[in-house]
Amino acid sequence: MAKDSITRPATQESLMTRIKDNLPIIIVSVFSIILFAAVYIKGGTSQIFNVFITGGMWALLAVGLALVFGVMNIPHFAHGESFMVGAYVAYFTFNPIREYLQQNPSKFIGIIAPFGAILVAGLAGAVLGVIIERGIFAPLRHRTKEGWVMNAFLLTVGISFVLTNGANLVLGPNFRGVPRYWDVDAVEIAGAYMSVDRLIAFGVSMLTIGVLWFFLRRTRIGRAIRAVSQDETGAQLVGINLNFIQTLTFSLATAMAAISGASLLFLFQAYPTVGATPLYYAWYVVMMAGLGNVAGAIIGGFIVALLQTSTQLFVAVSWTTVIPTAVMILVLLLAPSGIFGSDVKGVQEQ
Amino acid sequence: MTPMLELKNINASYDFLQVLWGVSLNVDKGELVALIGPNGAGKSTTLRTIIGLISPKSGEVLFNGKIINNMPVYQISRMGISYVSEKLNLFTAMSVQENLILGAFAIRDKEKQLATLAYIFELFPRLEERKNQLAGTMSGGERKMLAIARGMMSMPQLMLVDEPSLGLQPNLTRNVFDALLQLRDRGVTILLVEQNVNATLNFTDRAYILEQGKTVMSGPSKEIKANKHVRNAYMGI
Repeated sequence: MAKDSITRPATQESLMTRIKDNLPIIIVSVFSIILFAAVYIKGGTSQIFNVFITGGMWALLAVGLALVFGVMNIPHFAHGESFMVGAYVAYFTFNPIREYLQQNPSKFIGIIAPFGAILVAGLAGAVLGVIIERGIFAPLRHRTKEGWVMNAFLLTVGISFVLTNGANLVLGPNFRGVPRYWDVDAVEIAGAYMSVDRLIAFGVSMLTIGVLWFFLRRTRIGRAIRAVSQDETGAQLVGINLNFIQTLTFSLATAMAAISGASLLFLFQAYPTVGATPLYYAWYVVMMAGLGNVAGAIIGGFIVALLQTSTQLFVAVSWTTVIPTAVMILVLLLAPSGIFGSDVKGVQEQ
Repeated sequence: MTPMLELKNINASYDFLQVLWGVSLNVDKGELVALIGPNGAGKSTTLRTIIGLISPKSGEVLFNGKIINNMPVYQISRMGISYVSEKLNLFTAMSVQENLILGAFAIRDKEKQLATLAYIFELFPRLEERKNQLAGTMSGGERKMLAIARGMMSMPQLMLVDEPSLGLQPNLTRNVFDALLQLRDRGVTILLVEQNVNATLNFTDRAYILEQGKTVMSGPSKEIKANKHVRNAYMGI
């Protein structure tokens, strides 16, 4: 109780230090609000929707990166290839159905099929994640004593090369896409016309993130994942099987990237190097938000999308990559651990 | 009767540096046994070998007559051994309650989990007051309590406790020791590593002295305490 009376007079000071500690967050929030207002004034609701739809997708990809880095300490540079695999799987699942539908139209199958294709892509991603983790990272982990982050990073770059060129070898460099998933007219929301594909892509990303969030916060295994990211040894001591959690985490991240590739097939198409652009944006997001921070990755996704949209509106479309990158560099100069820092410590720091 | 825990001729090393040279010891059910010795004698290494964080180069670790070296840590933990490390290894960004629930990770029965939680809160009322506080924001003594409590949540048969008095002021040390005694009275077997030799020998049943990776002496704590070498080397008398 005596302690309280000592700290109480310092309340004003502690408010100041609180502001100081959260300065990056405050600055970013203020800038975001100003940018949002500017985008709304210049572009109207349709551009605001644009921010949310793109942001949802970057968030979905970035959450996977953050999870893999936070739990396994892998800077994952083959995440874009999971996106690519998702796009291909969705194409090869959906296209035969689409051709079949052209012969025998069926409203019900037409509505259900795209969801089916996205689901199949997600499952394929989960399986791919298990194979990569068990086959490549688990053996590396058992042999590595030092320099895990560097080894893992080089390995992901290697995986990326193999998958990209493998796809090129087997499927060729052609673009495979669908004009759209749902053969219906755009809908009007608050004065803006949005294609149903875009709206559903946004819904899918939000739903996936929501399910993941619930899983991490409220379930036994989700809690174990967070435990591993905070203290690997402690997690083992309470009886958590580290290998299982690591495989599961990697599998989840891969599945999320595949879902995102599948639900954006109408926008990106499927070709061997389709994963590069989404990968870079997802990395902007996690670097800006703070490596390994899942909540930060979600908010960061929307911030990067906001930057992109406002660049397109106020500068020029060709500057879309330049300005978010410049902002990222600026953020890293001013706040090296990212806007939201990271309450998840990397495994190496312990 | 087979002892609950038995170490036979354990040799263990970190890379090329051998730390344990043929350590043998045993702990019977219901005992509170101390493992004492100077810095670098291999006390913590012994505990880390038992729980499986280090696998011994040779020798055997038996738990209830079953060989457990070469088993992964999580399996050894699920067999009923809890290790409270000196670093504590708490989940610092989680609340006290979440830390405790994770302690009972291997117990799937929700009701059993809650019953243990209630029992823990009864044993450490301080933790119930702070159950929503993040583990990383607690004081040193409270963290130590939390680590011991988390180790209890799995209802272990055997607890390995590594230097609970490290960095604590004397009256808090007494609290921690009292908690350990209470656990012993409730039937938990404890193997305790300590630097605080005098106090430890006062409340433990038996003790082993470890020097340069070898067990040099063992016996009831009272006899160890009366030993001339121990009095000279560890108590400065």
